Amino acid sequence: MNNTFNISRFSLLLKRQWLEFGKIYLISLVVLLGVFISFYGFNYYNITTYKSFSSSTMGFRIPLFVVAGLLFITVIASSYFAHLGQKSRAIIDLMIPASTFEKFMGSIFFTTLLGIVGYLLLFYVTDLLFLTSLQKWYQSTGVAGQLKDVNEFFPYFFTQDHEHLPTVIFLAPSFIVSIFLLGSIYFEKFHYIKTAIVVMIFSGLWSAIIMKSGELLFEGRIPINGATHIGRTKDSVDPVFTILLIVLTLIFWVITYVRLKEKEV
Amino acid sequence: MIKINNLNFGYSKGKLLFKNMSMQLSAGHIYGLLGKNGAGKSSLLKNLAGLVYAESGTMDVLGYDPAQRQPSLLQQICFIPEEFYLPSVKIDAFVKANAAFYPDFDHSYFTALLAEFDIPVAQKLIHMSYGQKKKVIIAFGLATQAKLIIMDEPTNGLDIPSKAQFRKIMASAMTDDRCIIISTHQVRDLDNLIDTVIMLDESSVALKASVEEITNKLCFKKVKELDDTVIYAEPSLSGFNAVMPNFHQEDSKLDIELLFNAVLAEKNKLKPIFN
Repeated sequence: MNNTFNISRFSLLLKRQWLEFGKIYLISLVVLLGVFISFYGFNYYNITTYKSFSSSTMGFRIPLFVVAGLLFITVIASSYFAHLGQKSRAIIDLMIPASTFEKFMGSIFFTTLLGIVGYLLLFYVTDLLFLTSLQKWYQSTGVAGQLKDVNEFFPYFFTQDHEHLPTVIFLAPSFIVSIFLLGSIYFEKFHYIKTAIVVMIFSGLWSAIIMKSGELLFEGRIPINGATHIGRTKDSVDPVFTILLIVLTLIFWVITYVRLKEKEV
Repeated sequence: MIKINNLNFGYSKGKLLFKNMSMQLSAGHIYGLLGKNGAGKSSLLKNLAGLVYAESGTMDVLGYDPAQRQPSLLQQICFIPEEFYLPSVKIDAFVKANAAFYPDFDHSYFTALLAEFDIPVAQKLIHMSYGQKKKVIIAFGLATQAKLIIMDEPTNGLDIPSKAQFRKIMASAMTDDRCIIISTHQVRDLDNLIDTVIMLDESSVALKASVEEITNKLCFKKVKELDDTVIYAEPSLSGFNAVMPNFHQEDSKLDIELLFNAVLAEKNKLKPIFN
């Protein structure tokens, strides 16, 4: 018997975890759907009632997508191992005949994969339904004929041009999830708050260090080639941050695995 | 089946709960693990199950190191903790989600145990009483056909008829290739069930002996007056309940509670008898 990874045992573990974690996941999705419907519904009402629209009409979607997404993936990640802080639940879970690696991979599946994909899918479907409805309404109104393209006012969120976004943005969710997943096993209680505080402190320190070192390095100096370097710097910073984020995510995953392996009751 | 060698374990670095503890446990026995509060009964069980890590020493459980938490060992261990959690699902769903991890899980035996324990199978686990939940978890554990059954205070929360059922079920669950370890404060619940007594005291094993060995070496009886041969005695209505060396190979019934108190109070007198 392979004591590290066995695909049938892993699928059994996923099914078992779904029994418990699935409820938290589905409830969170329902709450999320409620939030989406509230925002989209409010704007839908305003647009269709007052016929007030411009190119920034659907501008609420970006902050909604970012803030709700951040909250959802962090809550999901933070709750995955939270029960291991309770003796009664930890014993049952640790005694399940699956390897630590399989249990860890289960956490990645539910938090990183299912958490992020679920969120994107829900946002995509909500946006699709509301925007399709809005476009139909728009085309049925008298003003429609005066405009060239329906997508000018009501473009689907995921069909907009995202090419200008740096790669690092696409890796950020899994990086954030890895931090909160580690927090869920590292702390015994108040996982979310404690992890958020630690993230805030480290982010603050990190920003302060960057600012201070920037000041020390560049204060009183003038760039020789000026603006011509700015574009190049941006191009070279993105791969550096991409690699940094991948490495940090992997480091947090390794620490989470070790913490799970060393977990005592 | 279980070999413990020079186990040193403690929850804080300076204070060890077990100092150089060594012990061997074999299949085909029901061990009763006794000790005062804080003596380390639950901690010893957790060490055996790989739920905590020792500072030093070695442990061999069914040929594995429990600290590795390997699936092939975990599917041979049934651990019934004192405090446990069951999800908010019906028994069917619980079994469907968990039984598949145990290749030898016996569904018909599980159903029979539930019937014997009189468990309402249609009810959600979360709506059951503590005692009913305990019976479900005991039935599930036994149905896994695990080779090592570890139970921490299994009779806590069970009503009087259920305790008798528990004893009966445990006695019938005993096979030659199984090892059952039961830790409890309710020593009377283990009457006629355990065949070996393990007592923990002061960071080590104060006594490990079979019931047969104990009753061969010690005599438990009521006496009117105490004499020099009495190792330990407790006053009773008609005199004293006494523990004394069994010089004349008298037949007596093991009084676990009396023995427990005797071991705690007169360790030095008992040690030479069992060494």
